[in-house]
Amino acid sequence: MAQIDIKNVCKRYPNGFEALKGVSVEIAAGSFTVILGPSGAGKSTLLRTINGLETPTGGTIQISGQVVTQDTLREVRSQVGMVFQHFNLVDRLSVMTNVLTGRLSHRSWLGSLLYLFRREDIDLAHDALIRVGLTDKAWNRADKLSGGQQQRVGIARALAQQPRVILADEPVASLDPVTSEEIMGLLREICTRDGITVVVNLHQVELAKRFADRVIGLNDGLVVYDGPASGLDRATLSKIYNRNGDQVDEQLETMLAYA
Amino acid sequence: MSSSKLCWPTPNGLPALMPTAVLAVSILLLVISASSVELNLVRLFNAIPRMFDFASNLFVTPDWEYLPTLGANMLQTMEMTFLATSIALVISLPLGVMAAKNASPHPAIFHATRNLLTMMRALPELVWALVFVSAVGLGPLPGIMALSFVTIGFMGKFFAESIEVVDPRQVEGVVAHGASWLQLRTFAHFPQAFPDFVGTVMYILDHNLRAAAILGLVGAGGIGYDLVMAMRMFDYGRLLPIAISIYVVVTLLDRASDKFRRRLI
Amino acid sequence: MSEQIISRPPLPKKPFNPTPVWLSAWLALMWVIVFDLELSFETLLYGVQDIFEYLSRYSTPNFEDLSRYIELLAQTLATALWGSALAFVVAVVLAPFAARNLTPNPLAYRVARELLNFMRAMPDLLLALIFVAALGLGPLPGALALGVHTAGFLGKFFAESFERVDGGVYEALSATGASRMQVVMYAGWPSIQREALGYVLYIFDRNVRMASVLGLVGAGGIGLALHDTLRMFNYDQSAALIIVILVTILIIDYLSTWLRGKLN
Repeated sequence: MAQIDIKNVCKRYPNGFEALKGVSVEIAAGSFTVILGPSGAGKSTLLRTINGLETPTGGTIQISGQVVTQDTLREVRSQVGMVFQHFNLVDRLSVMTNVLTGRLSHRSWLGSLLYLFRREDIDLAHDALIRVGLTDKAWNRADKLSGGQQQRVGIARALAQQPRVILADEPVASLDPVTSEEIMGLLREICTRDGITVVVNLHQVELAKRFADRVIGLNDGLVVYDGPASGLDRATLSKIYNRNGDQVDEQLETMLAYA
Repeated sequence: MSSSKLCWPTPNGLPALMPTAVLAVSILLLVISASSVELNLVRLFNAIPRMFDFASNLFVTPDWEYLPTLGANMLQTMEMTFLATSIALVISLPLGVMAAKNASPHPAIFHATRNLLTMMRALPELVWALVFVSAVGLGPLPGIMALSFVTIGFMGKFFAESIEVVDPRQVEGVVAHGASWLQLRTFAHFPQAFPDFVGTVMYILDHNLRAAAILGLVGAGGIGYDLVMAMRMFDYGRLLPIAISIYVVVTLLDRASDKFRRRLI
Repeated sequence: MSEQIISRPPLPKKPFNPTPVWLSAWLALMWVIVFDLELSFETLLYGVQDIFEYLSRYSTPNFEDLSRYIELLAQTLATALWGSALAFVVAVVLAPFAARNLTPNPLAYRVARELLNFMRAMPDLLLALIFVAALGLGPLPGALALGVHTAGFLGKFFAESFERVDGGVYEALSATGASRMQVVMYAGWPSIQREALGYVLYIFDRNVRMASVLGLVGAGGIGLALHDTLRMFNYDQSAALIIVILVTILIIDYLSTWLRGKLN
């Protein structure tokens, strides 16, 4: 439903560190893209420039033609859902209320101050919970759920926004392998069925191979691979994961073992 | 849009029980007590111009000759604070041990000390100051006594609570090596409870400085007397300098205590 | 058993332990203060001797005016209640601006923090004096003074609680397009509600204590009565008043500790 145009995006931090050194990517509407790369490659930074959580020091981002700027932030964000590694739910609130926070950008000032929601909002949240399979936990406190369940609440929150894009920043890094499969499967299913553009940061190469249409390999702030998941052979992986230009064949085995 | 039903995010659509109950009780209590507190909006409105008047009067040439006395009295206030807190610190260490369930020598002593500490901190410093002024006369001595008294009450209780939450396994370790009663308290209880305790001491120092600034009201030393006199006689030339010096000293200590506590953590 | 001489590698040099230095400095400072304040041990000793005689004057409390005392007590409690309510409202408004991870811009943060600091630094008695001058005698200026002063404490406590919340939670909510107010309402307050309630109870407790002495400057309540009876050396009535104050504070103390215990 929405195409993401990343044009020559650079990000340099005040201390001089350059996280992104000119990344240009066009992400097709309704596609499932995985970004791979070693720690510090800039995966998180890149993802976060898309919904404005990081401001690029150069280049632009457009979502279906709308440029992401300080002024358009709220509008952009209401259309872009985000799922986090540490779930970032409000612990003390119920699952339902957490999902409902996805509707906040559509609520009036007074209404949200008083914790009031419209019937449509509650229905949308309910639908999202059905989608992720957590209706029986709707009124439980968010922190009483397991990791996998909490992440599903995070996904439901994103779904409640009725987004055109869903960004996932290492969504399964804190989960066990079986639950990781479930979550990735859920994200894939959402992409296929609803046509939502999904972009996921991962460090597990195996998951990328299993679920991605397209993989973007990031290393040291630059794109070093952009193609189908099938293209992830030894040579490509070396390119993505090498550091400072050294050959890391042995480390590659370790990396794949942990992926 | 406005015709769609609004409701709360709960199973039955009504606001959650706890927050609503708390709100209702609070409002009820406020309404009941409104007359006791002589709440009167008209009176409040009429006071606003008088507040502005007062504020404009403050900015008058300071009474330069008074400044050395001001300095001396502020110094006295700080000295009172420091001395009282130090004395209280020393006395509350043994009292804290006696008031801790796991370190007290005897249950009777435990209960007696606990109750003693509660009594000591129940009354505000000013009340104790009134009593002590009647007993030993005017000056900083009754103020220091009053401050120490209340501080011992707080510190003793806090220290006792810190002792009660020490790791029993560490205590076991020391006991297993044949430590005496006193050695146990010095080497097992004290080191664990102390860091927390230091943080509280900073907070108490902060609180005591503010309290010491007031005690002069009843003649128990410090800047309080000057303050009240200046207010009563509308001596604006002194009022602003006094207020500023209190503000500066209190703020400095506040910042220092914040930094100190951050370094501890 | 063997003839070998075991040569030990030398221990690293023992790090300088500043504790004895601090301890001596502290004792020295205390000595200087005692000297400067002209505190005499004799006066203290005489005072302590006298104290037993003095305290015995309070041993026959006179409760005949009890109904008036209870009325004044109600006034004191009302002052504390309204003062705490005022403090709560002001703190709720200022705290989000005084929290580094919720404030809209650095200027708002500085202003809010300084405002809260200022309110904390002014002794409530001074504020009470000012309000009495503006409003006249009675409990209302007392309530205002307590409200303004403790708003500074409450606001700081709330702001510090906000800052301890995981920033990711705030971020997640902003990422859905929520406004700053919505982030504060849905991620801020729910996350700190337990702590916040504990702080409010603590402040109310403290305000009851202060309210009982504000009467000394004409701001109503039981403090004024105590001041009068002491001035007239009416020890029996003073004793009764002190007992009334003591019992009330103990009850409020107990209730507030119990409530805070239930919150945890």
